[in-house]
Order: sequence, then C-alpha cells, then structure tokens
Amino acid sequence: MAEKPENLDPMERRGLSGLLASLLVETRSVMPAAGATGVSLVLVIAAMCFLASLTFGAALSVGRAADSWTSELAGALTVEIKPSPDMDKDSQLDAVMSVLAKTPGIKTARPLDQEDMRALLEPWLGQGNVTDDLPLPTLIAVEIDMQSPPDMAGLAFQIAASAPGALLDTHRQWQAQLLQAARTVAWLAYGVLAIVAATTIAIVTFATRAGLSANREVVEVLHLIGAKDRFIAREVQRHFLHLGLRGGLIGLALSALTFLAAGFSGQSESLFLVPVWGLPAELYPWLLLVPLAASLVAVLTARVTVFRTLEQML
Amino acid sequence: MHQNGKRCGGGRDELGFFHDSVAFMIRFENVGMRYGMGPEVLRDVSFHLAPGSFHFLTGPSGAGKTSLLKLMFLASRPSRGLITMFGRDIATLPHHELPAIRRRIGVVFQEFRLLDHLTTYENVALPLKIQGRTEDSYRDDVHELLHWVGLGERMKARPPTLSGGEKQRAAIARAVVGQPDLLLADEPTGNVDPEMGQRLLRLFVELNRLGTSVLIATHDHALVEAAGAPELMLHNGGLSVRG
Repeated sequence: MAEKPENLDPMERRGLSGLLASLLVETRSVMPAAGATGVSLVLVIAAMCFLASLTFGAALSVGRAADSWTSELAGALTVEIKPSPDMDKDSQLDAVMSVLAKTPGIKTARPLDQEDMRALLEPWLGQGNVTDDLPLPTLIAVEIDMQSPPDMAGLAFQIAASAPGALLDTHRQWQAQLLQAARTVAWLAYGVLAIVAATTIAIVTFATRAGLSANREVVEVLHLIGAKDRFIAREVQRHFLHLGLRGGLIGLALSALTFLAAGFSGQSESLFLVPVWGLPAELYPWLLLVPLAASLVAVLTARVTVFRTLEQML
Repeated sequence: MHQNGKRCGGGRDELGFFHDSVAFMIRFENVGMRYGMGPEVLRDVSFHLAPGSFHFLTGPSGAGKTSLLKLMFLASRPSRGLITMFGRDIATLPHHELPAIRRRIGVVFQEFRLLDHLTTYENVALPLKIQGRTEDSYRDDVHELLHWVGLGERMKARPPTLSGGEKQRAAIARAVVGQPDLLLADEPTGNVDPEMGQRLLRLFVELNRLGTSVLIATHDHALVEAAGAPELMLHNGGLSVRG
C-alpha cells in the first residue's frame, strides 16, 4: 500500500537539496548522514583546506621559483666588451669568442644583437632613444655546463687579455643577493603555510569534536545496546573520514580552480617575487596532501574523542 | 526473587529456571547509588531476579525506578554494594567484557532513544548489526517482528514521523530482536492508550513464556493488576516486594 504523502519520510522527499546533502555527507555508517552538523563540518573543512591548499601551492611555487632563479643565474655568465680605440668592435668580439670556444665547460656563447640590446635598454632610456650611433658595449650571453664549470678566475684573465675593454661578469654579487631574497621569501611562505596548517588542524579538530558531541546520543545508544568500543570507533572514524575527505576535496578543487584562473588571467605577471601565473602543472598532485592530512586529523580526533567518551561510560 | 531474605517470583520449575542451584540472573546486595555529591537515590537495595521471572517495578515519581534500571542495564555504577549479573561481579568485570553482558539485556528506554536518522527497520535491526551479522541473515526476522508489532507498513519511516505508540513499539522491537535473556522496560505503556497497553503487555508475557526474564517499570496500576506478577516497590530509595 502506498504511503500517504504526509506520511512520507522527510528524507525520502527532500528532492534536489536532499540529493546534494546526501552526496556531501552520506557516509553509509550508523552515524547520522545528512545532519546539519555534517554539512557544517564539511563546509568548515572545505574552507580551511581551500586556504591551506592556496598557501601550500604558493609556498611550493615560490620555493620552485627560487630554485629556478638561482640555478639559471648560476649557469649564466656575461662578457661585456667596451668600445676601445685600440681595437675595432668586430675584432674584439672575434678574440673573445675564440677564447670562449676553446674553454672547456662552456655550453653556448651568444653575442646579443642590436635588437636584444634595444630590448634591454629601452625600459631604461625610453622607446626610440636607443639609436644606432649610441656607443654601447657588446654583450655575450654565456651558458656554462653546471656539471663541469670552467675555471672562472682563469677565464676572466684570458678574456681580459684577449681584447682591450673585455670583462667577465659572473653575476656573483647579484646571485648572492637574489639567493638570499629567494630563500627569505621561501621561508616566509613556509612560515605562513605552517601557521595556516596549524590553524586548519585546530579548526578541524574543534569542528570534529563538535560534530561528535552532536552525535553523542548515537554513541551512547550503540554503547548501551552492546556495541563494542571498536565497532563504535570504526563507525565514527568512517563517518569523519568521509566528511573530512569530502570537505578536503571541495577545498582542493576550489584552490586548483583559483590557481588555474590565476594562470589564465596573469600569464607572465609577478607580484614582487611571488609568481602569479598559477601553479606549475607538476606541483598540482602535491595539493592532494592537504585533504588527506585534513581527513587524517578528523579521523584521529574522532578516534581519540570517541574512546575518551566511551571510557567515561561504564 | 529474594528481598530481605524472602523468596519471591518463580513458578516455572518445569522449565528448569528456578532451582536454587541455577545462577541468579541479577543479584543486588546492599546497593546504594547517588549522583555526584547528592543524596542517595537508592539505599541498601538487595534483591535477585531468577531466569524466566516476570516482575513489575513500581513507585512514585523520583523514587529511583530509572536509576535502578540504569544500574541493571549497565549505564551507571553503584556508589556502594555488590551487583552480580549472569554470575559475574560487575565491579570486577573487564571493560571489554561488558558488551557481551549488555547483549543479553534488551532495554526499552523511557524516552525510546531511537536513532532519528535511521529507518524503523534499521533501528530495530541495530542490535543484530552491531553483532557483526550480515543483513541477509536477519532481514526476514526483523520484517517478521515489525509485522508482529504492527509496524509492517512503517519500516522505511524514520522515528520523527512515527506516532508515540509507533515509537514505543519500535523501541520494544529493538529491545527484543536479539532474543535477550532479560528485558528491562521503563514505562513502556506510558505513551499508548489502554488498549495498546494491554496488547504490549501480551507481547511481554509471550516473551516471558519463551524464556526471557522481564522487568517492567511502570506507574500503570491497571497493567500491574492485569498481569498479576510480583511487584518490586521503590519508596524513598528503598526497595520492598509485594506478591
């Protein structure tokens, strides 16, 4: 016999919102599924995982960028040849290129042409102010083999001797300063990550305790009808594992979308030393650690709390 | 059943339940109980229940009926005295052995304590589920029991949509589904009309006939008189026996 509509269970006629709630919080355990505490716990975990994922992604990205800058700089040299009355420009260049070609440990050496020089100087001198008759030094971009680098002191001596006005710039001074700055920014990012992670753990812990407190009646009834502590703990853990994973994955998805959106909107922009072109693709899998960690925190908190609760009962 | 040295209860020798050599199902000796630092709500309570017995627990509100039941279904500890259940001293029983004792006791709570997020069927099947049994092994039994208590059409309904009487019957079905050795019921007819009260009494008598010891805490004198079973009377925390 069909039930009258007024007799139908609210859970059976809750429609789309009910379906959504069940997808978010249905855990198939004897613990309550689509309860208000379940939804709020999922939302809290989602919000904290979103923030934690953003911070984690930013820290990873900054760390990666700092490594990249320092390694790129460490692998690059510049030879500067100032104009000299004792030797014409082409002869200076030929002499220095000859030295570079003979030196082991040099991968490439490329003289910058007029266009490259214009691109370098125009930001400083203004567009159209870099004219052909401007006496500019010749620059050679040199890439060295990091595995077997050349003897820098010997190379500098040979270059200086090969042509008047030729000078090797090893970027050492810049490299040290940039390395220091990059390290500072990376540590700053990891510091912020540590604070956000600690806050996330604290909030997930409190939210889990609140969720379990709301379900204390269920735990008590299970206990009184003869459920073993292990059974109750397993059910509670499974419940909070599902809630934690769902909240965590929602937060992860939102943060991944944020990184992607940043990638699309600010292709090559950067904010101070922090790149805002999104997260390098190979770093996305690392973000999975965030929901996993949040779920682990929720499960461990639930386990400890439920055993403590059961110990207080007879 | 003994109280102050007097034997009471019994009448089922043909079933082999009441011989003195048989271990008592429940034995209280000089049990006292207080909540926190408050006054004793139970004082020097001594009695024992034999297997297969049927008793009522009566007394005015606040006399300690629910407290006594809480001690019997292992929800509270006594402040003093000795409680033995199924031959085991509760005070020395390891924590991990308590669930096995609880599974031998079916409880109908005064406020039912059905789980609102589970269906009537799931609520009633819960004692079997926690034993680790598969649903295939108990589905038919639970369906049969639900039909027997008149909830066959309400199996998928959740407690918030059940009437008071339906909740009461669901709570009773959950208490008896595991075929307990002892059934404790706290005001099981408090929310039903007299006709349903009599029907539930017949259910308890039938369970008792099948071997379950029954103790019903009630205010309902009509129920006590209709059953004609011995009566444990609580008054100001002390226990006396009638019948």
